[in-house]
Amino acid sequence: MVDSDSEEENIIRFGTPLEPYEEDEVPAKRKFQQQPDQYAVDAHGRRRFHGAFTGGFSAGYGNTVGTPEGWIPTSFKSSRSEKAQVSNFRPEDFMDEEDRGEFGIAPRHLQTNNEFSGQKRQRQQQFHDGPIPGEPVLQQLVRAVHETAAVKMLRAMGWREGQGTGERLAKEAKRRAKEQHKVYGCYMPPEMRNENPPQTDEDSSDSEIDYETLFAPDDYEPYILQRKNDRFGLGYSGLSRHSVLGNLVGEYGSDAGSSKSHLVMKDKGKKVSIRGQAFGVGAFEADDDDIYATEDMSHYDFAIGGATIDKQKAKKTKEKTVNILEGFVKSSKPLPSVPSYPPPALPRDYVPAPAGSRRSRFEPTTETPRNQGLGRHELTAAARGALLGESPVPKTITDSISNENKQVQSDPIARVVGRNVNFVSTSDNTTETKELDFIPIKDSGKELSNVFKPFVSDPQKQARYERYLKDKNSVIQENNSTIDDRLTEWERSRELMEFEQAAKLYKPLSGIMEERFTHASEPDDGALNPLCAVAKSSNNYGQATPEQIEAAMKGAFGSITRQETAWRPESLVCKRFNVPEPGTTRDEPKKEDKPKVSYSIFSYLESSVHDKESFTKEQTKFSGSKSLNMDAINRTKLNEREKNENKKEPTPQMPVIINNSTGCNKRMTVAELFLKESENDLKNKDQGVVVTETINKFDKMDLYKSIFLSDSENEEDDGGENAKTTDHTDFIEKPKNTERNTSPPRGIFANIDFDELNSWKRNSETKNSEKATINTTTEMIANDTIDKKGNHNKQTDNSDPIKDIEANVYGPKIPESLKNRLEDTGALENNFKPTFRSKEQRDLVQEVDSSSDSDSWVEAKEAKTKKQKKKKSKKHKSKHKKSKHKKKDR
Amino acid sequence: MSEPELSTLVTIKCKQQNIRAVRFNVDGSYCLTCGADKKIKLWNPHKQLHLKTYGGHANEVLDAAGACDSSHFVSCSSDKSVILWDVTTGQPIRRYRGHASTVTCVKFNEESTMAVSGSVDNTVAFWDTLSRRQEPVQVLKDAKDTITAVQVTNHEILTCSVDCHMRLYDIRVGKMTSDYIGQIVTFGSITHDGQCFVLSCADSTVKLFDKESGELLNTFSGHESKDLLLENAVNEKDSHIISGSANGEVLYWDLISSNCTQKLVHCKQKPVVSLSQHPTENYLLTACEDEVKLWGTKAMEE
Repeated sequence: MVDSDSEEENIIRFGTPLEPYEEDEVPAKRKFQQQPDQYAVDAHGRRRFHGAFTGGFSAGYGNTVGTPEGWIPTSFKSSRSEKAQVSNFRPEDFMDEEDRGEFGIAPRHLQTNNEFSGQKRQRQQQFHDGPIPGEPVLQQLVRAVHETAAVKMLRAMGWREGQGTGERLAKEAKRRAKEQHKVYGCYMPPEMRNENPPQTDEDSSDSEIDYETLFAPDDYEPYILQRKNDRFGLGYSGLSRHSVLGNLVGEYGSDAGSSKSHLVMKDKGKKVSIRGQAFGVGAFEADDDDIYATEDMSHYDFAIGGATIDKQKAKKTKEKTVNILEGFVKSSKPLPSVPSYPPPALPRDYVPAPAGSRRSRFEPTTETPRNQGLGRHELTAAARGALLGESPVPKTITDSISNENKQVQSDPIARVVGRNVNFVSTSDNTTETKELDFIPIKDSGKELSNVFKPFVSDPQKQARYERYLKDKNSVIQENNSTIDDRLTEWERSRELMEFEQAAKLYKPLSGIMEERFTHASEPDDGALNPLCAVAKSSNNYGQATPEQIEAAMKGAFGSITRQETAWRPESLVCKRFNVPEPGTTRDEPKKEDKPKVSYSIFSYLESSVHDKESFTKEQTKFSGSKSLNMDAINRTKLNEREKNENKKEPTPQMPVIINNSTGCNKRMTVAELFLKESENDLKNKDQGVVVTETINKFDKMDLYKSIFLSDSENEEDDGGENAKTTDHTDFIEKPKNTERNTSPPRGIFANIDFDELNSWKRNSETKNSEKATINTTTEMIANDTIDKKGNHNKQTDNSDPIKDIEANVYGPKIPESLKNRLEDTGALENNFKPTFRSKEQRDLVQEVDSSSDSDSWVEAKEAKTKKQKKKKSKKHKSKHKKSKHKKKDR
Repeated sequence: MSEPELSTLVTIKCKQQNIRAVRFNVDGSYCLTCGADKKIKLWNPHKQLHLKTYGGHANEVLDAAGACDSSHFVSCSSDKSVILWDVTTGQPIRRYRGHASTVTCVKFNEESTMAVSGSVDNTVAFWDTLSRRQEPVQVLKDAKDTITAVQVTNHEILTCSVDCHMRLYDIRVGKMTSDYIGQIVTFGSITHDGQCFVLSCADSTVKLFDKESGELLNTFSGHESKDLLLENAVNEKDSHIISGSANGEVLYWDLISSNCTQKLVHCKQKPVVSLSQHPTENYLLTACEDEVKLWGTKAMEE
C-alpha cells in the first residue's frame, strides 16, 4: 500500500485529466461550433465592410457620420429670440472618425513625410564649441533620410560613407598620395608630424595584406578657413573661457566680474537686459556660483595681486599698441566682415509647392473660381448707359461745380457756412449748365419715338400720332374741335386709343425710367459731408408753374393753382371703396381679355374664337382702318347697352361682348377685301355651296344642343329656343371667318355677285327682286326656323317703338345672325348708318313682298319690331349657357 | 359761441422714448401710440389703462390707424414696411414691403378693406387687406416729394406732400386734383362735412381750403411749426381747428373768424407733434415726447 501510494505520488502526470466519467451518463456529443465569421471591425467593434461581398467598401449606417441615422441635413432656423448661428462646415464635419484615421480618405495623424529632407545641401556649420562640442546630438539623431542625387549615384558606384572618392588605390599608392598632400601655407616639418610612428605600424601589418588589395582613397576633409579673431599666434587656442552657460569667462580684455553677471546694464542703468541661457539657475540666484561651470586654468590667478597686474597689463598693451613691430603697420580699419549672401527675394505671389508633396483634396484650393457671371458687372457705367439708350453725360459738371465754388467764394455768408446755403439764388445763374448736369433721358426717349413710326402707311395718321406724342391733351382737344371732319367722333376716340397703345408699346426703356425718378434739385453733398447744412426744400416748387407760384404768393388760390388730370383707380380699389368704376367709356384691355386655355369640348368648338381674339387684338392696335373704327363704335355701344341690361353680372358677360365685337372686326376687314376683288373677277355664282353650308351649320347646332341644352332648356318656350338657335349659329359661323381671313375668296363668297349686291345699295327697288332670285334655294331649308321666329315676333310685338327705332339705328340690337350675313355680303362696307336705314326700307318692302331669301333674310323681314326683345331673351340664354360652360370647364 | 374750457384729464407716460403719433380708434374709446422704440401701445386713455404692446417693426413707428371694427389696425414705420395687426393676439397678420423708403402715414378706408400708405419714396400705395396679396393694388406716383399725410374718405384720397402740393384723388369720378399750396404741407385733414381741407403748412400757418374751388378760405396762425411735421385736427362739431405747436401749446381757432380761442399748454418748449380728436365728443389727445395727455371738459368727466 505504502509502495503503491508512493508509486502514485511518484507518477508524474502531464496534461489535464478528463472529467470524471460517470457510467450512467452517455457522454453528450459536443456540438460542432462553427467559428464565428471573421469580420473586419473597426476600433469600436463595428463592422468595417458592408455590402457587396462584404469586402468592398464601407457603407451602411454603421459608419455614418455621428449617428446611426446617418448625416442629417440641418434646417436653417432663425427666430427673433434665437438668432441662427453662422455655421461654417468643414469637410471633416461630414466624415467619420475612420475617414480621418490612418486608412481613411483624409488621414489626420502626424507622420513623417517620405520625402522629408532637411536641407539637401549640407551646409558647413560651425558648431558651438561649448561643453558638448561638435555637431549637436539631436541633429545627429534626426537625420534626413533623403540623399542627394549625387550621393545616390556615388553609392551606386560603390562609394561608402567615410571614404574618399576616386580610383581605388593600393596601399602603397595611398600612402604616397598622402605624403604628396598639398599644404598651403607653412608646411609642417616632417619630424613634427605625429602620423609617422603609427604609420610604421601599419606598414608592418601591410606586409600581411596582399599587395593587390586595393583601398579606397581617404575622404577629403574640407579645410575650412576660420577667421582669426584673436591676437594669439597662429593655431593657438588658449584656455577655454566658456562657461556652460555660453558666456566667456574671464576673457582677456574684458572685466571678469561683469561678464559673469547675466544682468547687463544698458544705457547707463536705465535698462536691464538679461543675457545668456536661463538654464537651471534662477534669475534671482545671480550671486550663486555657476554650478555648471567647468574648472578652468583661467579661473586661477597666475600671479599675486591680480589687480595691479591688470593695470600693468593695460599699460603694457597700450605701450604695445604704440610700439609696433618694424615693417608692420597698424591697420586703420577693422577687418573686413565676412561677406554674406542673402538668398534671393522670392516673388511676391510665390507659393511653395514641393514637387512631390501630396495634397489632400480637402485643402483649400488657391485656384480662382471660374467667372460664371454673364459679365454684366464688368460693364462700365458708360457701356450700361449706352445699352439703356442714354446719351453720354457732357463734361460740364465740373464746370458748373467750379462756377458754384466761385460763387461760394464771393458770397461771404456762404463762405462762412462753407457751402451754398441759399440754393435758389445760384440756380438761376447755373441753369444752363444745370440742365446738362443730368442725363437727358427725356430727349433720348423722344428720339426713339421719332424713329418708330407705327402708322407710316397713313401719313396723316402718323402726323396726328406724332402730334399726340408731343402733347396728348392738345391733340385730344384738337380732335374734339375741328381738324378731321372726315372722321367721326367714334373714329377719333378709337384712334386716340390706338395712339395710346402705340405710345405705351413703343415707349423706350428710358421713358419708363423717367417716370420713376426725378432729378435731384441740388448736388448730393450730404452723402459726402454729413455735417453740411441741408437747404430747406421749400424752395423746391415741385412741378408748379411760375404762375402758380406767383398766385400762391399772393394768396390767390383757386383755379390758377389747381390742376386736374384724369386718374384711373384700379378696379379693385373701386370695389373696396364700394364705388362704381369710373371711365368705362374708354375700355382698355383688361386681363380677362386674355384667352384662357381650357381643355373642354368648347375649346375645340370655339377654338377659332380665341384665335380670332388674339388676331383682332393685333389688328386693332395698328391697322386703324375705317371699318375698325366703326367696329369700335359698334362695340362700345354694345358694351354700354349690355351693361345697362345686366349690371348684376358684368363679368360673365364680358366674353360674349368680346366675341361679338371681334367677330365684327374680322368681318369688316374681310368684306373690304372682297369688295375690291369682287370687281375684278367674281361674276358668276352658284348658290349650292351656301345650301351645304347652312346644312352643316344645323348639324353642328344639333350636336351642340344635344350635349348642353337638353334638360334645362326644353321647358322653355319656342321663342326662347329660337333665340338660342340664332345664337348658336353665331358661334359656329365665327370659325369660318377666321379661316377665310387671309385666303382669297372662296366658299360662299366665291359665288356671290358683289356687283349686284352693291347695285342693290344704290338701287333699293331692283335690289330686292335680285336678292329674291339669288336666295330662293336656301329659302326652303330655312322655312321651319322662319315659322318659329314668326311666333316669337308676335309675342314681342308690344315693345317700345322708340327703342325699336334706336335698335335699328345702332348695331347691338340687330340679331347677330342677320348682322353677320349683312356684313358677309359686303353690304355694310362703308357706312353704317345708311346701311341700316336702307335695311329698314328694305324690310318694309320685304314685308309687303313676303318673299323670303335665306333664313336670316327672312328673319330680318319678319322680325322688324320685335328684335329688341328677342335679343334680350337671347342674351339671357347665352349668358346662361356661358355660365354653364364655365362650370363645366372647371 | 363760447367753447368750454378744456383741461387735462389724464396724463399717460408711455415710456416709448418719443411718441410719433397718437390716434383714437374708431369710436374714441381707445388709442394707439406709435413710439420711437419700435413699439405700438394700445391704451384706454379714459381709464389710463395700458392694454397691449405690439412689437414687430424694425424701426420707429410713424403712424397707425385702427380698423372700423377695431379688430385690426395698420401701422407704418421707418423700416419701410406697413404692418396689419390683429388687435387681440398682438400678432402681425400681414407685412407689406412695397415701399422703397420710410412710410410716413397710413390710413384705412371706410370699411377697412384697404390701407392707404404714403412714403418718403414719393408714392402712395393701396394695400388690399382682405386678400393675401403682397403687392400694392395701386401706386400713386404723382407726388414729387415725400408724402407727409394721407386722408381717406369714402371715395376720396387726400395726400399732402413736401412738394408743396395737395392732391385729391376722386375714385368716383376718376380724376386727380392737385392744388399748389406754396408751402410744404405737413398735414392735412378734412372737415366732417367733407367740403374743406385743413392743411398745416411749414410757414407756421394752418390753411383752410375749399374742396370744390381750391380757394383759400381762411388762414390760422399763432403757432410755431419750425421744421416739425405738425398735425392738425378739426373738432367734432367742425367749429374749431386744432393744431399743435413747437412750443408745447395746442391752439384752438374758430373756423370762421380764425381767432385763437384757446391755448392748451401741454408742456413748455417741447413740440406737440401729434394730436387726435375724439370722433364724436370733445376729447383731444396730444402727444409730446413720451407723454400723452387727454383733454376734455370737466363736465364731461363727471
